[in-house]
Amino acid sequence: MVTSPPPDSPTAAPRRLPAARALWRVLAGRTARLAAGVHQTWRRSLQVRVVSITLVASSLLVGGFAYLIADKLTNILLENAETDVLLRLQNGSDYASKQFNLYSQPQEAQLQDTIDGTVNYLAGGDPAQTSGVVVAITADNFAGYIESRTSPDVQVRPLISRELRASVAAGNVAHQVRTGTLDGQRTKYLVYGSPVPTRFGQVELYYLVPLARQDATAADARATVVATGAALVLLLGLLAALVTRLVVTPVRVAARTAQRLSAGLLDQRMVVNGEDDLALLAASFNQMATNLQRQILRLEEMSRLQRRFTSDVSHELRTPLTTVRMAADLIFAERDEFDPAVARSAELLQAELDRFEELLTDLLEISRFDAGFAMLDSEPTDLVPVVHRVAERLAGLAERVGVAIELDLPDSPVIAEVDPRRVERVLRNLVGNAVEHGEAKPVRITLGMDQSAVAITVRDHGVGLKPGEEKLVFNRFWRADPSRARQTGGTGLGLSISLEDARLHGGWLEAWGAPGQGAQFRLTLPVRAGDRLTTSPLRLVPADATLPFGGPRDGGLLAIGPGTGAGALAVGPAEGTDRAEVAP
Amino acid sequence: MSARSEPLRRRLVTVLLAGALLPVGLAGCGIPDQTEVQVDGRGPAGESGSLNGSGSQPPTRSATEDPKEFIRDYLAAAAGEREQAYDRVKQFIANEAQGRLRKKQSSEVELTVVRLLESPESRLLTNQGLWQVKVRVQQVGVLRADGTLDAPAARETEYVFQLRPADSGSQGLVITDLPNVLLLSDEALRQYYGTHTIYFWNSDQNRLVPDWRYLPNAVPVERRVTEVVRWLTGGPSEWLAPGVTKVPDGTAPINNATRSDDRWEVNLTMPAASDDRLAKLATQLAWSLPELSGQLDLKIQNQKRRTVDLRQERADHPVYPTLRAPERFCVYDGAIHPLAIASEPVGAVPVEGDANRNVVSAALSRSGDQVLAALVTRSGQQQRLLVGTGPNPVNVFNGSSHAYRSIGRPIWLRSADVRHPSGLVVADGTLYQFDGDAGMSRVAIPGQVPVSGSVTAVAASLDGHRIALIIGGALYVAPVTVDGGEVSVGAPRPLTTRLTRLTAVDWYAENQLVFAGSDGRLPAIYQTTVDGAGEYALNRDTGATVSHLAAFPGGAVGPLPSLSYMYQATAAYRNNPIGKIERAQVRDVAADAKPSDPSAPFFFY
Repeated sequence: MVTSPPPDSPTAAPRRLPAARALWRVLAGRTARLAAGVHQTWRRSLQVRVVSITLVASSLLVGGFAYLIADKLTNILLENAETDVLLRLQNGSDYASKQFNLYSQPQEAQLQDTIDGTVNYLAGGDPAQTSGVVVAITADNFAGYIESRTSPDVQVRPLISRELRASVAAGNVAHQVRTGTLDGQRTKYLVYGSPVPTRFGQVELYYLVPLARQDATAADARATVVATGAALVLLLGLLAALVTRLVVTPVRVAARTAQRLSAGLLDQRMVVNGEDDLALLAASFNQMATNLQRQILRLEEMSRLQRRFTSDVSHELRTPLTTVRMAADLIFAERDEFDPAVARSAELLQAELDRFEELLTDLLEISRFDAGFAMLDSEPTDLVPVVHRVAERLAGLAERVGVAIELDLPDSPVIAEVDPRRVERVLRNLVGNAVEHGEAKPVRITLGMDQSAVAITVRDHGVGLKPGEEKLVFNRFWRADPSRARQTGGTGLGLSISLEDARLHGGWLEAWGAPGQGAQFRLTLPVRAGDRLTTSPLRLVPADATLPFGGPRDGGLLAIGPGTGAGALAVGPAEGTDRAEVAP
Repeated sequence: MSARSEPLRRRLVTVLLAGALLPVGLAGCGIPDQTEVQVDGRGPAGESGSLNGSGSQPPTRSATEDPKEFIRDYLAAAAGEREQAYDRVKQFIANEAQGRLRKKQSSEVELTVVRLLESPESRLLTNQGLWQVKVRVQQVGVLRADGTLDAPAARETEYVFQLRPADSGSQGLVITDLPNVLLLSDEALRQYYGTHTIYFWNSDQNRLVPDWRYLPNAVPVERRVTEVVRWLTGGPSEWLAPGVTKVPDGTAPINNATRSDDRWEVNLTMPAASDDRLAKLATQLAWSLPELSGQLDLKIQNQKRRTVDLRQERADHPVYPTLRAPERFCVYDGAIHPLAIASEPVGAVPVEGDANRNVVSAALSRSGDQVLAALVTRSGQQQRLLVGTGPNPVNVFNGSSHAYRSIGRPIWLRSADVRHPSGLVVADGTLYQFDGDAGMSRVAIPGQVPVSGSVTAVAASLDGHRIALIIGGALYVAPVTVDGGEVSVGAPRPLTTRLTRLTAVDWYAENQLVFAGSDGRLPAIYQTTVDGAGEYALNRDTGATVSHLAAFPGGAVGPLPSLSYMYQATAAYRNNPIGKIERAQVRDVAADAKPSDPSAPFFFY
């Protein structure tokens, strides 16, 4: 892969650096990807985990044992060699001592002959027959008189370390393993030294025994142990894989079955084989699935009955209501002829009947949603005229309560694939609510759009919502203050229906509010029907909303610290300092 | 990827790494390339102290200003262990002359042994103290590395040295001019060397033959065993070699002979080392190491093959057959008569009366129960050899087929071969052998013996394998082998003596000769060693030429005081005690015998 640049190129070095960086980046990227892949596999596969752990653990165990055995073997071999050599050395030292005891002066010339003869004798004469053992006699104390002798004649000085010489010169029998080259190839030698006492002082006898055979034996044993260990580890890994597979396969089947169950295929069951734990698991699973299926069917039936009841009640009420309505209309038309108290009652009756009709309509709508009969009739629609229309229709009401409706619409058309009837109903509901709770303050309708979504926010500056009420407002028949009588329109089902409409579009309907700051509702819809929403073009929290603590200064830091209550956090603008600090 | 699983992952990585590293660690647990020095304990402790060898050391260069003294010291300086001979000698030599003496290998160091015939002459050459010293010498021999003294190679009779005062800073003299040989005076040889007799088997392997060696006194006693073993394996002296067998070829000592607790161990290489050969070698060793009495382990190639109790071995295998007490006889009035000297036992003449007539000289010898008798008888101007063997007294004699004008004293060879008694005799200047039937045949003497010289005397050693000859008035020794009664003589080795015109010789001890000749002015009797080095006078004036000399060589093993001899000059004489052999000491003289002088005395043993 990596081609080294020609060494004579002078510009190679500067060019090499970016190339190396690029290579490094590529390698790092690949490694990271590989690591991520491995990690994913690790997390996903129980089998991989079990096999890996088994491999590692058994490697450690087997490796430890193998190390012990190999170490022991090596030690035994070495000890045997040492014992042999020590024995030879002692005999050799005795022999040499006897030989040299005939001389009382190192100068005696025959001493050198005797040393030669002794060395040859101890080495066994023929170098070809001595299996590489080298015998040396040195006389460091008498360097001027006695020459060191070695048999076979090789240079042994480098193999006899200074420390060993010092130890032997001090009168010790000592040994050391050294590696060196005596007969052409590098070999480990066991170097044994002993002092040889003579009448004129001490000379030293060394045996250098090659450990090639022991080394080879140790290597053989090691290889055997390693091979056996590796085979054992592999076997254990295979075994672990097999066992895990036995366990994991039914678990996977169970998982798949559970997935299918959760997908609604309630009649999925596991196959029960045998009587073991896994069979018990499958049986229990099957029993659970059966129970769940039964319960779910029962609940579905109950829910269906309830919706049917609501729908039936609404329909059944509509017929008598029509009759009552006609009668009431008649009475209302003739009210001027009645005395004022009765006329007043006729008006009240007319108003309550309107509300009753609205309530029935909403109930029917809700029951359609509940029954799943609500159908989306989407078509590409420009939302700007829709907003204008809603605003105009509510202009009368707004005027009545003294609320100005402000529109913030883009100049270009905002086209989205929506059901215009439902969107208009949602907007009407939201703007109507805003006007109702606007407390004579302006209501602002904003339309925003991006590539995938359109959004409409409706902002009022009324009493606002208390914390937690953002979710509750969408509940059926929810009231902010239950004691307060319902005075204006509102059946209590408007926002619920709006939420269902938004959901039907695959959109969001969210609320924000703060006490004293009013509220804002946001409707977000996908531009193309069926798309998933990820973001909204408009903010849910209005820009003019103030944070509970007044908000941080521009560009200032937020301080987060322990709050007053137990486990509470206090968030506020950092004081005085422009550094971020984390208090312990 | 929560923070919680981070340590878990790290641990996992560690474990994985450990698993991967294990085989690596395993591969590393073989025999290490290098270890620390491990001490196994204290080594053996040594016994200090020097050996009780040595004796006197040769002189070093002294501060003497006397050139003669200086040269005498110089002539002794080479004595001692030969490896340092050159170093010792070079102390005497001026730096500029060091090159004259080239150093040789230790095994090739040869010392030229000379005998100073008179005191060195010195002459002052210049006023600067330059001296010239002349030494008149007689070449005695060459002392070789194996301790043998061979016949002299050089012929110089005079050596000239030049001396000058030593360089400033030291006293005395140094030699500036010198002969380029290592010289050793015979005095120094006697003083700084010990003599050792080692034994070799004769060619029939039934008799030990002594060989004579020199070993510096400086060599410690412990090493003498090694030296003896080396000598034995190295072979006999050059002159003796034809008469003896060597140890098998290839026999060599392995290192030194060592002793532990009075037990010696000799390690040899010996090809085809049969038990028989080892037994022979053991006997050789036992006799060659007479001062040792303990056990000796004979190892061949480190294998112990034979243990020798040296004392027991010597007792079981004597060198010589036991000798009876020697009896003295002489010729009186043409017949052999016993001599009665002091309280010595007096024997009966082992020759039947009829044969015991007209005897000039005689030789009697015992061989087991047999008596060997050889008589030289005179009949008119002619002499004839009569030989008879048999039990005592011998009564059957055979005469030699020829008659000679003069026959010297016959000798019996004390061969181990009892069935073929043989002897040697000189007749008319020629060496003859004779057998039990008086059959005489000429014995060829090989080698470069002066042809002009005629043989005048012969003597045999106790072992029967060495003879001494006087050829042309000079003394020789030669080996003798007897093979089925056939005597053959090896090349004679000349011995240097002060005496000239030698007349008689006999074997005086195992390695000593006694001989008679003239020291130039007076007839004298001298004794010398078998190599001619150790010579000194026994009788400086015998009054007349010694015509007959007989000695008893078994002094070391026999009952007679050692070194006994008798001779005839003007009359018959003896030593031990010294004196003339009187007529009264002759026994068994018939009443009617006419008075005459006892002559030709000899020993019967």
